[in-house]
Amino acid sequence: MITLIKRRGSYYFLAVTLATLYLYSQSANITTSVFSIAVTFAMPLALAAMVGIMCERTGIVNIGIEGTLLLSSFVAFYVAIAAKSIVIGFLVAMATGVAMSLLLALMSVTWKMDQIIAGTILNILATGLTSFFYIQGNMLPNMFRQKPIPGLSNLPFFGDVLFKHGLLMYIGFVVIITLYYGLFHTPWGLRTRAVGEHPSSADTAGVSVSRMRYVNVAIAGAIGGLCGSYLVLELVGSWNRGFTAGKGFTALALMIFGRWNPMGALAAAMFFGLAQAGANQLMINGTVNIPPQFVGILPYVMTIIVLAISAGKVRPPAAEGQPYEKGQS
Amino acid sequence: MFKKFKKIAAATAAAGLLGLALSACSTAEKAATEADCGTEKAFCIGVVTDLGKVDDKSFNQAAWEGALAGAESTGGFAKYVETTDSKDYAKNIALFGDKGYNVIVTVGFLMAEATVAAAAKYPDVKFVGVDQFNGTDAANVTGLIFDEDRAGFLAGYLAGNLTKSDKIGGVLGMKEVPPVRKFGEGYEAGIAYAAKELGKTIKSSVIYHAAGDTAFNDPAWGASTASQLLGQGFDVIFGAGGNTGNGAITKVAQTAGAFCIGVDIDQWNTVPEAQPCLVTSAEKKLVKGVTDLVIAAKDGTIAAGNFVGQVGLSDYHDLASSVSQEIQDKVSAITEKIISGELATGVKP
Repeated sequence: MITLIKRRGSYYFLAVTLATLYLYSQSANITTSVFSIAVTFAMPLALAAMVGIMCERTGIVNIGIEGTLLLSSFVAFYVAIAAKSIVIGFLVAMATGVAMSLLLALMSVTWKMDQIIAGTILNILATGLTSFFYIQGNMLPNMFRQKPIPGLSNLPFFGDVLFKHGLLMYIGFVVIITLYYGLFHTPWGLRTRAVGEHPSSADTAGVSVSRMRYVNVAIAGAIGGLCGSYLVLELVGSWNRGFTAGKGFTALALMIFGRWNPMGALAAAMFFGLAQAGANQLMINGTVNIPPQFVGILPYVMTIIVLAISAGKVRPPAAEGQPYEKGQS
Repeated sequence: MFKKFKKIAAATAAAGLLGLALSACSTAEKAATEADCGTEKAFCIGVVTDLGKVDDKSFNQAAWEGALAGAESTGGFAKYVETTDSKDYAKNIALFGDKGYNVIVTVGFLMAEATVAAAAKYPDVKFVGVDQFNGTDAANVTGLIFDEDRAGFLAGYLAGNLTKSDKIGGVLGMKEVPPVRKFGEGYEAGIAYAAKELGKTIKSSVIYHAAGDTAFNDPAWGASTASQLLGQGFDVIFGAGGNTGNGAITKVAQTAGAFCIGVDIDQWNTVPEAQPCLVTSAEKKLVKGVTDLVIAAKDGTIAAGNFVGQVGLSDYHDLASSVSQEIQDKVSAITEKIISGELATGVKP
């Protein structure tokens, strides 16, 4: 089964590469531009999906991603203004993400509450707080501007697509790759997955289930803070109510589409980003007129298709959503 | 000594309280309160916002400002309720209807149906539907509509004269909302008109959001899409779609040498982030439209059907120096022709 997925993945990769090469030969500039913009569409979704992966791999369902993004982007914006420093804004936003996560962990690990309700609480809390304290008419002192990486940014195609972004985008890539490596190639990753799949075995082997869950959910929160900061301090530069526009929910779909694997979710987010940038390009060129709604439903349709095709093969971590009671089997 | 101090303190407090009570009395006589709505004493204006808040730097805010101005000149009382879920339209209108408000202003195209339904339920209340074309024969509904295509045309004409790369873009909300489509098509018509006048080819590309709940509230999409246009050499970008459009013009402001155009109200003060690029806004004179209709409702001169408000371009503000006198004159000349109807935009209603 694993070889099948791997083979499928390589087909997907091959098809994308060939299509890209063809487009690149047709119009190098536009292809580069579309891919480069696709990365900016994809990164916030990919990071939000990482929040979901970190939580679910360790057995906690987090539907409060949207709330985490909303509150941390809000904090990033106003703290950066108050402190006149985007770096401080970014750091405090990460701390806010961690705080949101710890609240989730408190409710779902310590109090053993229903995790869907716990996540909903995060969303309501963030919407309420940000709506209430929102003051319009403030401006950021600065932003994370584009900083091409010397050398790498001169590469044809990849230089423009991957290495001409701002600092937070680069951090995002590093986080995703680190997570992938960490989850599948380190003892910590093995323990994390064990806690998410079969906590009682992990417990027997001497892994503290609740500590593992607390730590991982906190890391997820920090990633959520990074995502919120990227949106406000690097991508947009302003904040408004409902700023995150449902990205935290799209991310849940991408997490499933990416089979709870950081690389898979990144690929899924990239696929979605390409669909959006590609649809924009079609409208820019004015050649084909596809309804924009079509693009909007893509991640959800893809998720349904993936789940339908691979029913039984793709499954969430076995213990997700269940509070762990010591001594249960 | 302590006793004395206490006495003084008590006396001061009492005097203060008395003063407060007196002032409360005097204001109560002048200004009406919500409790007086439905009686002769008060003229009450209720504003129901569309999804989004009353300080959204756009529609809701302008409608609310109009209602406040209307309340001031009629000596009335104005209050708003913010809609957080489109299922609540009817409920929110009823909040005012049940209290006997005289005028209820509902904001946004999406509330048109709920407004007409409520008008049947409250026949004595005058309804003003901001940005709602009223196709019914309801006697107490007035749709405040605008010729968005004219405002868009003027924006496009200015853009056509400003562009150096001969590539002009737009980042808009949902195309299914008629005002958005009319802005977009009018904009393209204005660009085409300028191109013809200048005898050159200008590429114009208008991108609409992929709809859904977030079409007008997705600044990240607006910013990325604006980047895509900027990266391909587009140097004037029109952002029209609430926060989505604001995200786009904010992004343009981060690029040197590019212009952006705002929408609906003069966005110079409302989106300060965009000031480096904001040359003007394709403006619907919403505040004036709502104010006029509120006053007309008080006078009893309000007519059912539709009321066409004014449109135009906002002030150039600090970017006036970037727009040559020649272009400014040309734009004023075209504005007159467009407003008077001498020049048609060619956009279907």
